[in-house]
Amino acid sequence: MGRHPRRPAAEGKHAVSGFAGWVREATDPSAAAGKPEALEGVRVLEFCPGHFGGMVAASVLAEFGAEAIKVEPPDGDPLRLVAPEEILVAGTGLPFLSEARNRRFVTLDADDSAGRDVFRRLALSADVIITTEPPERMEAMGCDYPSLREERPGIVYLSLSTYGAFGPDAVRPVRDSDILCQALSGAPYIVGEPEREGVPPRPHEAPTRLGNWHGGFVQGLWGAYGVLAALHFRAETGKGQAVDLSGAESLMMFADYNITWMHTGGKARERLGNFDPAVFPYTYIRCRDGYTFIAAYNDEAFDSLMHIIGRPELARDPRFSTPKNRVALENERALLEIIEEWSGDRTADEILGAVEAYTSKRGGPGAAVVTGRVNRPLETLSEEHWRERGCFLRARDPVYGELLLAAPPWKMSGTPARWKSGCRPPGSDNRDVYLGILGMTEEEYRRLAEAGAF
Amino acid sequence: MPSDPGSFRAFAGRAFDPAAIPGKPEALAGVRVLEVASRIFGPATADYLGLFGAEVIKVEMPPRGDLMRYVAPEGFFWKEMSPAFLSLNRNKLHVGLDLHPAEGKELFLRLAERSDVVVENLRAGTMDGWGVGYLQLRERNPRIVYAANSGFGQWGPYSAGRASYDATAQAVSGFSAVTGFPDQPPMKAGFWVGDYTAALMSATAILAALSARRKTGEGQMIDLSQAEAMIRTLDWTWPYAGLTGKDRARNGNVDPSYPPSGIYRCRDGFVAVSARDEDELIPLAHALGATDPDEASIATPERVGAYCASRRVDEVVRLAEDAGFSAAPVRGGKEHYHDPHLRARGTVCSVDDPLYGRVDEYGPAPKLSESPGRVKWSAKPVGWHNERVFGDLLGMTAGEMEALARKKVIGKWADIPGARPPKGSTP
Repeated sequence: MGRHPRRPAAEGKHAVSGFAGWVREATDPSAAAGKPEALEGVRVLEFCPGHFGGMVAASVLAEFGAEAIKVEPPDGDPLRLVAPEEILVAGTGLPFLSEARNRRFVTLDADDSAGRDVFRRLALSADVIITTEPPERMEAMGCDYPSLREERPGIVYLSLSTYGAFGPDAVRPVRDSDILCQALSGAPYIVGEPEREGVPPRPHEAPTRLGNWHGGFVQGLWGAYGVLAALHFRAETGKGQAVDLSGAESLMMFADYNITWMHTGGKARERLGNFDPAVFPYTYIRCRDGYTFIAAYNDEAFDSLMHIIGRPELARDPRFSTPKNRVALENERALLEIIEEWSGDRTADEILGAVEAYTSKRGGPGAAVVTGRVNRPLETLSEEHWRERGCFLRARDPVYGELLLAAPPWKMSGTPARWKSGCRPPGSDNRDVYLGILGMTEEEYRRLAEAGAF
Repeated sequence: MPSDPGSFRAFAGRAFDPAAIPGKPEALAGVRVLEVASRIFGPATADYLGLFGAEVIKVEMPPRGDLMRYVAPEGFFWKEMSPAFLSLNRNKLHVGLDLHPAEGKELFLRLAERSDVVVENLRAGTMDGWGVGYLQLRERNPRIVYAANSGFGQWGPYSAGRASYDATAQAVSGFSAVTGFPDQPPMKAGFWVGDYTAALMSATAILAALSARRKTGEGQMIDLSQAEAMIRTLDWTWPYAGLTGKDRARNGNVDPSYPPSGIYRCRDGFVAVSARDEDELIPLAHALGATDPDEASIATPERVGAYCASRRVDEVVRLAEDAGFSAAPVRGGKEHYHDPHLRARGTVCSVDDPLYGRVDEYGPAPKLSESPGRVKWSAKPVGWHNERVFGDLLGMTAGEMEALARKKVIGKWADIPGARPPKGSTP
């Protein structure tokens, strides 16, 4: 019931020919629906009650065409009840609604023996299992990896947790969540304002969480990547495997050069607010209508930026004349002040215009002056560029109404990722899945339903 | 049938043992990737493929190569190499090749004929303008999967000429607007999250495209904007904007979906406290002094803050484990480097590199039991593998390579830190 706003391939003032025109024609998401899907024929079973990262892993695979089946408890997934600002749409909160795409929704009672039997039958029909349940629970259900692979050796089994399934901390009794994964990952450690010496810290002078569930999202994304690597191996060898993924380690992979710097220089990254230990300028600057990003850190680009702000002599100032001098913290502070003298009475768009006017005349490393407005979400939504590229879509559903969602970000010419369907109530697809995939008879289905299996 | 209780833990200890990894096959063995990229977005994409066994040929413009070579924390180089370049360029073959002259283009096309994947992150349309874009490559190799990584995509009003870094994507996507404290300016994440997140999405799409190729026999073009990648990660930001017409607020260190879950200051550091539902909120409220289950509502951020402020991090973690809510320390690079858990998992690992000796790195996050990822060697100077790639792979003679080197079509490192081999090494 959803749609991408359909537009002709070339229209209006932004119509382009040549390569950009070809790519647009070939990858416009409004034409994706008629094309084949990359992962068609791969069945994914998602058993991740209350867990966002598990949903992301299944969503990503499903956006590429895998058939995803989400298993919920009979009264619905606990994540449905998570409702920032207490906003519920037909009983389901926005975090769940944002990620409940391209899948079928079945219920079963995993604490009931008949329900467990249904789960096991589903598992043995799947190519990929994604679970966030503790291994002990999966063992009790007869659905841990060593048990399933005996009957289905090609199965790919992804388990998600905070610390991973092995190693000294694997047995720590935590229930996985974004905030735990973020904290352990090293990300908040290098985000936020540092404390000042000699004065009590203010609340914001602390390691700062990424405001979205980036820990959960990246956990799901690495999970999907691990599954795809395993499916590639299976296509070559016929062998399935287990994939163990820690959410903390997932985001940790993004924590820059933490380990190489510790190893080679004995130093750890510390948080520096919007300053940076390796590149400067590379920061947000105040402008007339808010904040914008400015970067010009290699020598040639820095020279360009100093020309743009009308201070070309500063490229030879000993405080700023080499990359190393520019990243001394006191010089970063001085430079920020100088740049903001220029930017403070200009809008972000005017700054972009000034940068583009200068860099379009200058190629190579000197053109590497980069800017972009720090958008509030509504500002992002107001920009034509994303609308034209089909970045957002409006899902429509008889139960959940109209919802604004982020579309899959990949534009692909052959087998494009796509949004196909949105959230449905718990158990909406029980009949289709249990009769159609498991081959239950009407009678068996009714008997199990009456017995409370789902 | 159900196996013995506890058997999965025992299985996991054996199946994922890092010591056994060198003897196991690699998931992406036989996949050849050409990287024409600089800094982070493209190089990290190829790095993720290389960690799982793809052969990555990193094409750099000689003699300076990837400008990331000169991004060095506090200006620090180790054995003439930046630690920031090392962590993005494991397991790669480095060639110095100029794509501007006709002979350089032809060499690149010959490499592409023998490759499965191209990853680039130049400004939109640059490769096409050079005559080595997707349309030209597929003429020579219809099976090629071509990932064009960029800031704003290959088409649309912002695509032409506009450059982008990680923080461009953080800024324009709305990501920074929801990160930080409500009474403070938006906070840029201090690591290159807008590059890595998009790089992982690019690598994921490449694997999906390789899967499609098995069925169709054809490659394809992937157009990925790093801003759009970040937009996709913002969970309930968009349905909230759609329903309320409002911007989601910055909420500091408390997760607005699971209050009072968040990051709190302790006497000796910071801790994350997490309570997903009543099963954890009630024990948390008890720890804070509640005496009956109906008092879960006393678990406010203020109460949790006061509770943590008078305790050590390890105390809060232990109390959480005893009480039945969740907690974990806020860790940084130094703790990671020394963490026995991460070492036992190979998440922090050592590689014995023939040129640099021991280098410690983050290893791959997903642990695969049969075809695990691994770090095999470290980044190398510009053009380090010219002979191996142009000679062994393309069959060029030493004389042909010399002639091309004289014309500066192919080349090696500049004699500057970041590009050249360690002092005293014998290339």
